[in-house]
Amino acid sequence: MPEYDITDERDPKLKRQSFLKGLLAVMPLTIAVIPWGILAGSLALEIGLTASQSQAMSAIIFAGSAQLVALGMIKAGVGLGSILITTLLITSRHLLYAMAMRSQISPLPLKWRLGLGFLLTDELFAISNHSQHTAKANNDSVELQNNQNDKPLADTSHSPKLPLSSSKSPLPRHKFDRWYALGGGLTFYIGWNIATFLGIIAGQSIDNLDELGLDFAIAATFIALVVPTVKKPSILICVLVSLTLAVVCAVFDIQAGLLIASLSGMFAGVTYAKLTGEHKRSEPVKSADSVGEQS
Amino acid sequence: MIWIIILSMAALVFISRYLLLEPKLPLKLSDKTLTFLSYSAPAVLTAILAPIVFAPEGHLDISFNNSYLVCGVVATLLAHFTRNTLLTTVLSIGLFFIIF
Repeated sequence: MPEYDITDERDPKLKRQSFLKGLLAVMPLTIAVIPWGILAGSLALEIGLTASQSQAMSAIIFAGSAQLVALGMIKAGVGLGSILITTLLITSRHLLYAMAMRSQISPLPLKWRLGLGFLLTDELFAISNHSQHTAKANNDSVELQNNQNDKPLADTSHSPKLPLSSSKSPLPRHKFDRWYALGGGLTFYIGWNIATFLGIIAGQSIDNLDELGLDFAIAATFIALVVPTVKKPSILICVLVSLTLAVVCAVFDIQAGLLIASLSGMFAGVTYAKLTGEHKRSEPVKSADSVGEQS
Repeated sequence: MIWIIILSMAALVFISRYLLLEPKLPLKLSDKTLTFLSYSAPAVLTAILAPIVFAPEGHLDISFNNSYLVCGVVATLLAHFTRNTLLTTVLSIGLFFIIF
């Protein structure tokens, strides 16, 4: 099937400007991730990975929470299978991010798809979609496509039908800018790896880096990312169930806690929505609250 | 063994990020699956952050002495009222390192 490349014919200067805008947009999140990166680097070293393995985790996996959870499991002597199942669960949210950005990224040339795909993190997703609050909800977006584009996208027959029950599929209300996304994604990637490197360096000379409270950076970042997504009672239920079980499992030192808590939260949310008919209310049209009520 | 773990994790993570960006993929995820998946981000992120905030030492600690909890609540309020990710992270982390 043809690669319908939407070309970006802009002046290189404008591309550079977009890139810089992306860089600036992600900067605060990059700063926030530094303590977390330091933790990832130093913890890896402490658990017995070599410096190059510790850096490789950040360089090729590039998924902070999956890395930290996996390190905990390696430390506990858990097998590869369990590590991968847990990784799959932690990373499952990226399927959804990719799904929400499919209409914008899939028409791009392969190198852009691979690049932006690799760089697709919670943070990149957040900055790419954060101009939502200027949006007015419109009702023709049953198909997940960038209907805010001035010109319709090429062939969208491959666009997924998106159930509008999903408020986690914010459609960006602006023309997608690949250079902006690259600027944001790449900056965050470099920041994460520099922070990891600092952690590896520091971890070689300083003990007990994990007692500095660096992990609060994880909590703060995730709180900042989760709270705005709680737009419906079912999502609140999901979050509360997940929170409670995660804490209980942590207190009782249950290894599969993350798995138990996340899946229970997801089931609880879906079940609640089903019981209250929440999804039906937002089915026929794109409900106003599922887009851009970030204000 | 560590390299095997790293490489297989990297493959899994990359596939999960790239899969739905591939235009050749005839996407057939049922509405049910999608609805279920739509809860994955809040559920997973919460499951990761909750133990850090409520049990930083491994035991439940709901008190003002728990800086994680105090700053976590501050972050939640900031996120809720300002709706600003950037402000929330920078201010709450700043506060944390002041009082921790």
